[in-house]
This record gives sequence, C-alpha cells and structure tokens, in this order.
Amino acid sequence: MVLLIAGIVIAALGGAIYTSWHSDRRTARRLIIGAGVAAVGATAGPALMNFCAFEPERTAIDHILAYTLMATGAWLGLIAAKSFFDRQDGKVDDDDGLGEIKAAGFRLGWWVPWVLLSPTLLILVVFLYTPAFQTFALSTKLTRLAAPRAIPVCFDQFSELLIDDPVRLVAYPFLAALFLYGSRFWARRTRPGSISHRLSEVASVLASASVFIALYAIFSPGGGGAVKYRPVYVNTVIISAGIVALGMAGGLALAYLAFRKIRGGTIYRTMLIWPYAISPAVAGILFFMLLDPTAGIIGHLLKEWFGITMPNYREHAYLAQLAIIAASAWKILGYNILFYLAGLQTVPMDQIEAAVLDGASAWQRFRHIVLAALSPITFFLLVTNLTYAFFEVFATIDYMTKGAPAGATSVSIYEIIRIGVDNGDLGRGAAQSVLLFIAVIGVTVWQFKTSGRRVSYGGG
Amino acid sequence: MWRERTQLGSIRPVYEREGYDTASQQSVRCSNNKGSTVKKVFPLIALLLAFAMIAAACGGSGTTETTAAEGTTAAVSDQPTEIDMWIAFSDEARFNFTRDKAAAFNAKHPEYNVVVNSFDSYNTVFEQAVLAVDQGNAPAIIHFFEAATRQALDAVDSAGNPIFKSVTDAIGGRTEILGEPVILDDVVSAAKNYYTVNGSFYSMPWNTSSAIMFSNMDMLKKAGVDEPPATWAEVDAACEKVMAMDGAPKACITWPNHSWFVEQSLGQQGELLANNDNGRSGRATEVFLDSPGIINYIGWWKDLADKGYYLYTGQQRDWDGTSNAFQAQQVAMLVYSSSDTTALTQAGVDNGFEVKASFMPYNQDVPYEGNLIGGATLWMLDGLDKTTEDGALAFMNFFSNPENAAEWHKITGYIPITNAAEKLLEEEGWYQESPNSKVASDQLNAAKDTPATRGAILGNFVSIRDVITIAIEDILTNDLDVATRMADANVEANKLLQEYEALYGG
Repeated sequence: MVLLIAGIVIAALGGAIYTSWHSDRRTARRLIIGAGVAAVGATAGPALMNFCAFEPERTAIDHILAYTLMATGAWLGLIAAKSFFDRQDGKVDDDDGLGEIKAAGFRLGWWVPWVLLSPTLLILVVFLYTPAFQTFALSTKLTRLAAPRAIPVCFDQFSELLIDDPVRLVAYPFLAALFLYGSRFWARRTRPGSISHRLSEVASVLASASVFIALYAIFSPGGGGAVKYRPVYVNTVIISAGIVALGMAGGLALAYLAFRKIRGGTIYRTMLIWPYAISPAVAGILFFMLLDPTAGIIGHLLKEWFGITMPNYREHAYLAQLAIIAASAWKILGYNILFYLAGLQTVPMDQIEAAVLDGASAWQRFRHIVLAALSPITFFLLVTNLTYAFFEVFATIDYMTKGAPAGATSVSIYEIIRIGVDNGDLGRGAAQSVLLFIAVIGVTVWQFKTSGRRVSYGGG
Repeated sequence: MWRERTQLGSIRPVYEREGYDTASQQSVRCSNNKGSTVKKVFPLIALLLAFAMIAAACGGSGTTETTAAEGTTAAVSDQPTEIDMWIAFSDEARFNFTRDKAAAFNAKHPEYNVVVNSFDSYNTVFEQAVLAVDQGNAPAIIHFFEAATRQALDAVDSAGNPIFKSVTDAIGGRTEILGEPVILDDVVSAAKNYYTVNGSFYSMPWNTSSAIMFSNMDMLKKAGVDEPPATWAEVDAACEKVMAMDGAPKACITWPNHSWFVEQSLGQQGELLANNDNGRSGRATEVFLDSPGIINYIGWWKDLADKGYYLYTGQQRDWDGTSNAFQAQQVAMLVYSSSDTTALTQAGVDNGFEVKASFMPYNQDVPYEGNLIGGATLWMLDGLDKTTEDGALAFMNFFSNPENAAEWHKITGYIPITNAAEKLLEEEGWYQESPNSKVASDQLNAAKDTPATRGAILGNFVSIRDVITIAIEDILTNDLDVATRMADANVEANKLLQEYEALYGG
C-alpha cells in the first residue's frame, strides 16, 4: 500500500512540474489541477484492477508493471489537461482547415455535429471500444472459453512474458529511452550540415535500434513455466520488417515501371493491382502450391529441368520466414502499386523537366524529386503496411507453415489466435493482444515522430 | 493547393484539364448560389435522413424476425422435428456416408429430419461447439474427439447445468427406441474401456481407430526385408537396409508429429500419461511428459531422424503430407491411423505397390502392454425435449447398427464398433478379402486392459497435446536434448492442467 501511495504522490508531483513547464500561466490553480489530474489518472488503472499489484505477495515485477500503468494514466490525464490549458491560453490554432465549412453553415449549435456523428460513435463504442476494454479486463484473468469461472491473476499473464529480473526489466528500456532522447537532444543542438550533426543522425538511428534490442532483452526466453515470448518477438520484427520493406520497395518499383507510357499499360496496371483482391488465406494456398517440396510446382520444375531437389522450406527457419515474407509481400503489392500509381500522378513534371535540363541523371531525378513527392504516400503506406504485417498475416502463415519449424514463423498475431482461439486460453490471448496493441501504438508514434518530420506535403 | 493541381494538369491532355476545372468551378458556384435558407435546412435534412435510415434498418429486421417466428409456429404440426448433427469430417467418403445414413433414417422415420453439418477437423468442431454452447444454439448431436472427453464432461452452461446428457441415462435401459435396437451393450471392449466414465457410456461410440503401420512391401522386399518390422530395433535394421539399397527412397519411415502416437507408445510401454490412473480413478491433476516411456520414444524418433531414416514434413499434425509421401513412394513405411486403411491399401493398388498393414512397432526392451484407441464419439445435448431426444438416440443407434457399422468399417478402416458388426464382416468373408482391415481390431484385442492402455482423460488435453508436438518439433528441427526439452514441456503442460483444474475442477 505504501508503494501505491508513493506512486500517486510521485504522479501528482510530476503532474505539477509538467504543468508548470508546459503552461504560460503558472497559477496555483493550474498546478493543483495538473497534480490532481495526474493523481487521478495514475490511480484509475490500478483501481480498475482492485489494486491487486500492491497486495503483499506480489513481486517487484508486478510493481513495475503497475507503475508503468500508472505513469501511462497520469500522462494521458496531463495531455488532456494541457490541451485544455492551451485552449484557455488561446494557443490552439483555430484555423483547423474547417474555416470554409464553418463559414458556410453549421450555426445550429454545438450539439449538431455530435448528433450527426452519433451513428458512427455508437458503432465505434459497441464494436470497438467495448471489446477493447473487455480485452484489457480479460488479460488480467485466468479463464477459458466457456469456462464456468474466471480467476483474477493481476499482471501474471504479462509478467510471464517478461524476464524474471526487475533490475534488468527497468534498466534496459530506461537506457534505450535515455539514448533515444539524448541523441535527439544532441541533433537539435548541432547545425545541419556539420559533421557533428551527421554523427548525431547516426546516433539517432542507433538509438532506434537500441529500443528493439532493449525489447529483445526484456522478453522472456522461456523455461521454468514462463512463456517463450522472445522468439515470437524476433519473428514478428523480422517478418513484419521483411513484408513492409519488400512490399513497399517492390510496389514502388513496379508502379514506376507501369506508370510509363507503354502499349497496353492499362492491362498491366490492372493485372498488377489484382493480387490485392485476393485474401491472405488464398495467398497462402497459392504460395503453398508453388513452394511445397512434395506437391509444389517450383520444386517439380527445378527437378525436371535442372535436377535440383528443392529444400523443404518448412524445415528451415530462414526459408520458412522468407516464404511467408514473399507470400505476404506479394499480397500487399497490389495495394502499394495502386497508391504509388496515384501518387506518381502528383509528381511535379515541371521540376522533372527542369532537372533534366540541369543534367540530373534518371536516378537523381527519382531520388530527389519522385521519392520526395511520394513521401506522404510512402508514409501512409508505411502505416497501413505495418498494420497489415502485424494483423493480417495469420491466414497466410496458417496455410503455409502453421508456425513451423519449431515456431520460427509464429508471429505475434499467430500466437494470439493459437493460444486464445485454438487453445481457448482467452486470458493469455487477451494479454498478448494488449501487448500487440501497445506495440502498434508505439510503432505508430515512432513513425510520426521520425518519418512524419520528413514528409513533404508540397506547398500551397 | 489549387495552383499546384493546375500545374499538374498541364502535363495532361487539354480536355481533361478543362473538364476538371469546369466541374470544380461549377461546384463552387453551386454552393455560392444556394441561399442562406438552403444552408440552414441542409443539415436538418441530413439529420432526418440519417434517422430515417436507422429507423428503416431497425424496423426492417424486426419485421423479418416476426414473420420467421410466425412461420415456424404455424408449420410445427406438419414439419418433421429437426435434429442437428455436427461432425468433424468434410472429406467426401466420410461426410457422404453420414449424410446418406441421415437420409436413410429420415426416410424410415419421416417425423424426423436429421441435418448433418461438417467441419474440417476435430479441433474446429470442438471450438465451434464450445462457442455455440456458450451462445446457447448448440446442435443436438456433436462429434467430439477422445481428447475432448474431459472438457465435454465438464462443460456447463451459464446457469451451471451440464451441457451434455449421458446417453446411458437417456436410454434408461430401453432395448430399442422408435424401433431401432440399442447397440450400446454390444460395443467392442477397447472402445468400451476408453469411453466408460463412472461405469457407463456418456457418449455414443462411433469412429474408433488405432495406430498401425503400413509398409510398402515391394520396397521392403527389394531391400531384403520380407516382413514388416515389429519392434523399434527391427525398424532400425529394416531402415538401414532400405536406405542402403540402390534407388533408395527419400527416407525410410514417417508418421505425423501428433501427440496421439506418443500416447500410443505410452500404452505399449505400460506407462501413464497422467496421475490417478490416467484420470480414471479420479480427476487427473498431474501429467508426466518427462517419463522414461516418453523419453525413450522421442529419443528413438530423434535417432531415426538424425540418421535420415525418418521424414519430417516440417508440420505438426501433418496427416496429409505424411500420407502423400507414402503414396508417392518417398518412404517405405508409414505409421498412421487405421481410419485410412481402405484408402491407403487402394492407393497401393493404384500406384502399383503392395501395402501391408501391421501392428505399430513397439519398444522391445520393455514388456508390451497394448495400444489404445483413437477417434471420436457422439455427444448428446442435455435439455432436449423428449421427442427430439428420442429421435437423436434412435438415430445414433441406427447409425451404428451392425449393417451400417460394417459398411463404415469397409469404407474407412475404423474398427467395427460392435461385436455384431465384426461377426457380420467375418461371415461375409471381408477379412479374407482385405486382411489389412483386421489389423486394428487385432491390435486392440491383443492389448491388456490396464489404465495405461485405456488412455488418459484429462483437462486442457488439446493444449497439452500442442505442448508435446511443439516440443517434438523443437527437438527434431533444432537438435535439442530430449530429456531437457521434455522437462520444460512438462512444466508447461502441468501449468496448463492445473489452470484447467482451477477453473473446472471441484
């Protein structure tokens, strides 16, 4: 209980400090509001779990997880408070692009937009927010599909995914975060173009990598009843990164080729987009039929023509991962081509002409004009492709490898469905989906912070 | 934004650009021309439209429901009572057999209509049934595999009442129901031993098999092996010869990485998978995945794989891949379920080689205790009205009457489930015609009746089977130490069992 009160007090203090830093008017009222909001935000999460993490028999790992939850709650509260204060201070830019619409009508009162939004909001609440909340609730319970009872287990289904060492559990992410913010701070202090700025950019890339390494280090390697989650994390990173890289690079390359004026271009373009209409399950079956060592077409042809026996991709971890990446990237290729084809039409031709006149090579034109003009599309595709790689590869994997060999192609979403649905272990499935949810939010925030800055939406 | 778009337009044909411009200008002009009244009215119209649509949608569904309800009430008198049956077979032979028998029953008893729905695997039908039970729209008859026995017994609805009713209780000593003789007392002992819970049948036996071995005799004879090997040592010796000959196959032997074969081997070696006599004298609360029997079996398995004798298809529970490898003569021997005896024998005829079935090879170093059954039974929902319940019971007894059980055996290779069916087949001379079909029954009859050969009944069995096959795959592909890896698996499996007991047990 002492730990809980200490946590709330720290959150309140942090809230007051944050408010005084980020607010123009440092009135006592604001500081109290800041502290209060942070304290309430910090208490809300543990309160929903009946403060289970602070019961006497709980371990340091439980306390760490509870503190993380409290910090998140406090932070969310403070963000809300900050936007409220900013609005009070008139710091919010009122020109939110809706000026024209506001001028054109909607003078019927503040409630009109809400009424108009209500069908959508209702659907969101019923089909998205409620299940999401239930997933959070389930993740703290030991229960099975159709089981007569559920046993509250606090953070157990999370802590079993992590290493059993509180010191390292805190130290690794802390060091990675320090590195990340340090490198960014350094980059801001240096002059663009200077050598130290280049170095700081390298450091910032390394810092991003260190986050992945820290996560690798805190996930449990298994043994002694803990869930072997580290390999799942590694598989997810490798396979998702592979799908996104191959899918986007391939999509851009093919779109660039298909965009040129060629005879029958429309047909090519239609054919290229077509894989998008195929479901992930069918993509899995198609690649299975191509690559299967006994019944596959490629294996058969290799044997007939060259006398080469194709290795069984399901027996070798890297081949299996490659096969999954190839099948999934192929499936998303059509989608990427579609957007890149649309994007290529916005490339400013006058700039290209000017570049040609200035003697820029084809590669230089591509690198400096086309890629730059496509950056908003690329950013959008990065987000959607990553979502696809995280959430929609289940069927492809299920048909091609079922997670084999020895779990080498079992990515996060595959594990969730295997545990939660196939084995009926709802609590663990929910805990892992909460983890995936946090990961997706984390990756998206990171994308907005890094790629988002480099995206050019053009002028005007 | 405007300027940029127009610039872009300059590289496009002129007419396109003009079209684009005019359209946009028109739309701008339109909104300008609409007076202030329109501006105010428009949101209201939109609002009204939105509500109207919602009302229409809700009202629409409401009406359909009413009509449907009225329809059923009106038609109750002249429509037959529907009996839903969910089975885990979607292949032509087994699904068609079930559907044909349902049609025959419906023709014989026009007051009933048995409807068969098929699912692609035991796991799927199990998952779907658990969900359907949870939502309260479960079918009258559900096809559960042996591993789901404990969970089916434990299944309760939200009010805490059991989901399934004991068929013995429901039959209540009757010898025939709606004119269909009750076959339960005549069920062969191996199936009776497995499925007897607390002294009586809870579910209705149907497809029952055992693990047996199929050999490509042409290949074995070519290698100088005249009879299928019976023990592990004999398999090793035969494989050495097979792999040494000219034109050796890809590998010597294969079987699916399925926990069922591990369980079979434990029965052979007389060891228990779970405490309390394999969960038969009381609820199983502990499993033994690091027992000598398991270590021996997986050790022998890994040894075969290391020598290149065993073909691993790279997938768990790969029934298709292993069977295909045998049919394509990529391996000389296949340990498989007797359920495919007829198909595999025929595949040999089609591909020009002799297939001979024999007992599953056993460990020569320990006394042989016996193999156990596999397969599934039919569970009947509790709380059915008397008419439906009697119809379901009559159908299940009709479904496995001697003629039907014999036909089922011939089509597949599942053992004849009653003594009468076995007698009928003998009289017909079927076993002379197809000696392979007798092997599974003989193997089961050769088993001693002990807790080890009765097989385990335990909670979370499906997940625990997963733990076993994952560990085996890990051992085979990553070259791990069997004892260490199985000790890990044992911790994991016991955790799963204890959690199950915490949720369902006492």
